[in-house]
Amino acid sequence: MPVQGIKAVATARNGVGAFILQCKRLDFHYCDWAGSSRGMNAFLKHTLPSFAKANPQIEIRVSPRPHKHPVIKGHYINGREKAICVRNLEPEQISNKANLLKEASGEKLKRTKKPIASINESVRGIWSPYHGDNKTV
Amino acid sequence: MARRSSDGSWKLFENPTENRKLGTITTAATMRPSIRLLNLEVSSLQSSRTLYVCSVCRQETPPHPLLARQFLRHASNSGPLTERMRRKIWGTDNPPGMKDPYGESVLEKRFRKNPPKEQEEQPVETAQAVEAAVEAENEVVPEDIPVGEAYEPATTWEGLSRVGHLGRWSDLPASETNRYESFTIKKKLTKKGHLALAAHQAAVELCLMESLNKPLTSICEVVEHDKAVFKLLWGCKIQPNAKWGEALVYPDQETKDALVYIFEQIGSASETAVADEPAEAVEESAEASELNEDAVVELESNSPAPHFFGYADVRDKGYLSLPLNDLDTKFAFLKRFSQLSGHFFPDPTIHSISTVAQTVEYVQSVVDPKPTKLADYLSGNQKLQNTSNVKVFTKRQKRSDKDEELGRKKVIEAELRERGFIE
Repeated sequence: MPVQGIKAVATARNGVGAFILQCKRLDFHYCDWAGSSRGMNAFLKHTLPSFAKANPQIEIRVSPRPHKHPVIKGHYINGREKAICVRNLEPEQISNKANLLKEASGEKLKRTKKPIASINESVRGIWSPYHGDNKTV
Repeated sequence: MARRSSDGSWKLFENPTENRKLGTITTAATMRPSIRLLNLEVSSLQSSRTLYVCSVCRQETPPHPLLARQFLRHASNSGPLTERMRRKIWGTDNPPGMKDPYGESVLEKRFRKNPPKEQEEQPVETAQAVEAAVEAENEVVPEDIPVGEAYEPATTWEGLSRVGHLGRWSDLPASETNRYESFTIKKKLTKKGHLALAAHQAAVELCLMESLNKPLTSICEVVEHDKAVFKLLWGCKIQPNAKWGEALVYPDQETKDALVYIFEQIGSASETAVADEPAEAVEESAEASELNEDAVVELESNSPAPHFFGYADVRDKGYLSLPLNDLDTKFAFLKRFSQLSGHFFPDPTIHSISTVAQTVEYVQSVVDPKPTKLADYLSGNQKLQNTSNVKVFTKRQKRSDKDEELGRKKVIEAELRERGFIE
């Protein structure tokens, strides 16, 4: 009896055929008055136009949050959201944080214990009693 | 003032002057009864202690003498309760304001109608005492106050003649020296084109004055030119990056002759001559400059005179590069520009200005101040407006905004209204 592979439909792998950015929206909150928003205000003034132009697939919302620290909030297609407080940061640092949120998958951060991780099934295949050596009972 | 008359009954004097006078003599009898209780007088046949009775007691038998005395102590001289309260609050026996804040009672009114009758009943012996008091007072009163005139100390300011100097500056009619004429125009220029026109005119005028070797600031004597003269000035061009005396480029020789003729008189002759003559001298050359009249807006004669005779903007931009390094020129230019535009310059700004362009920029920045709110700035940012994925909110986004965006606000409100939590 020839060995047959198990029939399986190819699962979608993001980035193999097409890549869909997981981040769908970024909210930028700032304060006009507070000093901790100085870097954020400078970022919104000078860097945001180019950032928005470079990422047209992300919706960007800018709204004030008076008397609060500045925050960037990312919304992801898995329904989760991530927020980063950017108080007292320079515009370049804020730009890095915005990129971090943009590139994030939206999943919770997990600790990697093993050096190699794979989503492929084992190369040995699934064990079957009808294959391999015939065992006499 | 209450006093016991000869027949034993107690009477009250209406005249306060008399009351005061008598008060100095008969200190023992200064207790004044409440006016409201006057009609409750008990007849003189009763005991002297039972002078007043309350309305309850009047209906019954005459009160006990001891009780009556106690009653007297409270009701005799202090007046009504409100009056006593007022005295206590103000801390004086003569508090300001109305005696009875609730108005005059009916009893008081009735009492006021009667005083002449009561005056007649005044006993002889008290009249003598009054005379003695008047004599005593006349000795004390200074001579300039007429004798016999009733003096009543004022408790409020009402009715008093005004004290102080009545001939103040504000009370006197306006004189010639009080007339004020502003150095600048009455209304500040706000339009960009008008500011450019003012700067161009000032630059052309100063170039002319410089070339004619006239004192530069004397141009400020002419607040506004005739329309024909203004047309000539408007038609002149200025070479960029040239000196003030050589920068002016006239459209033709006639214009040059006319302008030189006009501006030669500004420093020397009177203003009226300047205002009249140019109109005649310029009439011919004005026709030549009518080529650009399409920019001129025709206005009715009824409306107030428009700025710069309806001209909207300047053709020439060369005046912007004129330098203002020389202090005299800078001062003269800023003075003339201030006069034409209505905008003044603070000292630090004057110090930092080095070209005509900077002057115009400064005034424009004053007219259109930069937005202080970041949202306003971002809303006006063209780059952000061009990107379709950016949305700028001017107000804080709340939970209700999110509900509205997701389309569940109406449902939530309907449920809340049904439960009676919101109206």
